[in-house]
Amino acid sequence: MRRRATGLALAVVLALGCSRGFERAPARELRINLETEPPTLDWNLATDGVSIVAIEQLMRGLTRLGPDLRPEPDLAEHWDVSADGRTYTFQLRDGVVWSDGVPLRAQQFVDSWQRLLAPATAAEYAYFLFGVHNARAYNGGKLADFSQVGVRAPDDRTLVVELDAPLVYFPALVNFMVTFPLRRDLVERFGERWTEPGNLVTLGPFVLAEWRHDYRLVLRANERYWGGRPPLDRITAYMVQEGSTALVLFEQGLLDLVRIPPLEIRRYTERPEYLRQPLLRGYYYGFNVRKPPFDDVRVRRAFALAIDRSQFPALLRGGEQPESSWIPPGMPDANPELGLRFDPEQARALLREAGIDPAQLAPVKIVYNSDQTHKLVAEKVQAFWRDNLGVRVEVENREWKVYLKELSTDPPAVFRMGWGADFPDPDNFMNLFTSESENNHTGWGNREYDALVARAAREADPAERQRLYDRAQRILCEEDVPIVPLFVTAANFAVQPRVRDFRPSPMDLFFFEQVRAE
Amino acid sequence: MIRYALGRVLAGIPVLWVVATVTFALLRFLPGGPFDKERVLPPEIRHNLERRYALEGTLAHQYVDYLERLARGDLGPSYKYVGRDVADILRDAVPVSLELGAAAFALAVVGGIGLGLAAGARRDTAVDRSIALGSLVGVSAPSFVVGAGLILCFGLGLGWLPAGLWEGPLYAVLPACTLAALPLAYAAQLTRAQVAGVMDQDYVRTARALGVPEARVRRRHVLRNALLAVMTYFGPLLAILLTGSFVVERIFAVPGMGRYFVTAVTNRDYPLVLGVTLVYAVLVVLANLAVDLLYAWLDPRIRVGGAER
Repeated sequence: MRRRATGLALAVVLALGCSRGFERAPARELRINLETEPPTLDWNLATDGVSIVAIEQLMRGLTRLGPDLRPEPDLAEHWDVSADGRTYTFQLRDGVVWSDGVPLRAQQFVDSWQRLLAPATAAEYAYFLFGVHNARAYNGGKLADFSQVGVRAPDDRTLVVELDAPLVYFPALVNFMVTFPLRRDLVERFGERWTEPGNLVTLGPFVLAEWRHDYRLVLRANERYWGGRPPLDRITAYMVQEGSTALVLFEQGLLDLVRIPPLEIRRYTERPEYLRQPLLRGYYYGFNVRKPPFDDVRVRRAFALAIDRSQFPALLRGGEQPESSWIPPGMPDANPELGLRFDPEQARALLREAGIDPAQLAPVKIVYNSDQTHKLVAEKVQAFWRDNLGVRVEVENREWKVYLKELSTDPPAVFRMGWGADFPDPDNFMNLFTSESENNHTGWGNREYDALVARAAREADPAERQRLYDRAQRILCEEDVPIVPLFVTAANFAVQPRVRDFRPSPMDLFFFEQVRAE
Repeated sequence: MIRYALGRVLAGIPVLWVVATVTFALLRFLPGGPFDKERVLPPEIRHNLERRYALEGTLAHQYVDYLERLARGDLGPSYKYVGRDVADILRDAVPVSLELGAAAFALAVVGGIGLGLAAGARRDTAVDRSIALGSLVGVSAPSFVVGAGLILCFGLGLGWLPAGLWEGPLYAVLPACTLAALPLAYAAQLTRAQVAGVMDQDYVRTARALGVPEARVRRRHVLRNALLAVMTYFGPLLAILLTGSFVVERIFAVPGMGRYFVTAVTNRDYPLVLGVTLVYAVLVVLANLAVDLLYAWLDPRIRVGGAER
């Protein structure tokens, strides 16, 4: 009896060991890790980095970003801008059909934008179109008649957009998912369930085949895709939240593409599976300029000068690039020469000039949201300020939502924040610190800065635009210093060798249209 | 008996009301709301969102509204997952946690009682001591350590088992073992102590003296009496295991409901937090009832329902 049981156990173990059925890598299938459940596949309502990964495979927009991040024709074959820069006329590509065979029509853009802006939709990113004439009034419920909003489709292939003021980056804006066309008939038929498999109709290289919520999403090649059927048959996107588990699954051959968790990056940098992509994502420290001692610009400059950014890459090891200016490199009009560099001598002199005795100064408090990386940065900055200025510094962490609440109600004297590009134009970064911006937690406002940013958004001449942004960056990072840019971040991937032609984007977007898996 | 069980179930309703109220209040005291994000929303958009999710009125108004909907069996929409109701989310996640929890519970009960019995009956032998040591480790090691150890050993080292995902029975082995490790070890300790105590009782000696076969003594006299105390532990344990574990589900990427106990709070997804808390409360009430009924079956001296006493 006992011998039989032992034999059985051995057989099971051997069967498990030999079969390894879970390691098969299916040809022409890509298995990626989405990390979490996409909150929605409804592109009018999506706001987050996970949803966009799935949506970018399913859908297309008027424009797409080229390798240099300039907008190129996509669903729009070409577009014209009126002389005053306020009217854009997009001509749609011929022969584009949705996955159910219905042809693309310009009215489907109007329907999408109407839904995006309708107050009842409660779309968080409706503000992307606030530059369109009357869009903000319609979204705020002050205007009920959508025909007065500046978008119309005079015929099936023409879309005309009227802006309140020129926005030179508008073609880049309509590359963003919330502006994608929409099938109003299907949204009306299926209600909130229109994005479920079987209901969802799209026009990108892939279509939705299966969505097991909070577990996996399966996409299938779209045979009707106007750009030609993609080389992949299938993309399976799992939602493995724990980064180290995803990496183990990668090593077991169960996943083809994962992000490498910060602590593991060092182990991977020399391996052929490793891929690093610098991102258009800035990491900065902000001062609350209403709280002493940071109400004095000399103190802010002193604290900025006391930070040695060159130490962050070795500390964090995720491919961070020190940056003293705010527009990230890779973005048009970036100028890495700007900003305050490490100069402890000058920092101490400025502090003396401000009449501050470091020993007498009440402890300065840095607040960050709980996270290993943010903690390392905060402790490093604490050490810089203590060693180079002689001030006492405390660091405190907060849970994410508590932190956000604090930032919007009573911002701490020193806080951390990050910003990733939604569209590749400097306005997306510079607009953040205008006095009207809800994302400006510093309490700082400068009329000249506001005017420069507003003018640059309308300026079509590249040289003049560069000049305007350089001047604005000088105010932001050298003169008034409400923020101290620290570094730009990078994405770190592990990719199986069988996967070819995977090219991540500095916007942290993924396009699997050209990817092959052998 | 049936009347007693029904009465107990009805008595659970006020318990659920208290749980719902306390959870509601605690959530609203927590700073930060569902629409506080890295990108701050313009006021008109915030207003639209608050109207869409009925977060406009006073707290008292929202509370009454919430209870009304709850009474109708409507758990409300999730704030984080657009277009999904809490009921949809639970319908997907609860069965997975039930499967995994039931497997872990079976492992813990069978393994724990088996080991405890083996150790208790062979007191102070090498068997007893090694089981004691093993269960001490099991009780003390947190599940993320156990899980990581199992992944390292059977996933990466031997390559026998997948380190995560939920594609079939093979995929359930490591998470079920991880989930079962602590309760198994604890049940073994508990059983051992009880068995050791019962073995010294007069009626056991009497049974042996009367020549009752040892196997029958153990099954009929020792086990049955020893299990009474162990049962009290199994009730709440069943509820805990069936509602899933945040740690285990996260480590092994299992799509159960345990994860929502944490993620729904960090997202401030109020309806989802209330949903998972209520499911947990219902399971605790039911599992405790089941244990009380089992008691009566195991020990004829215990009678349920006042009338029969």
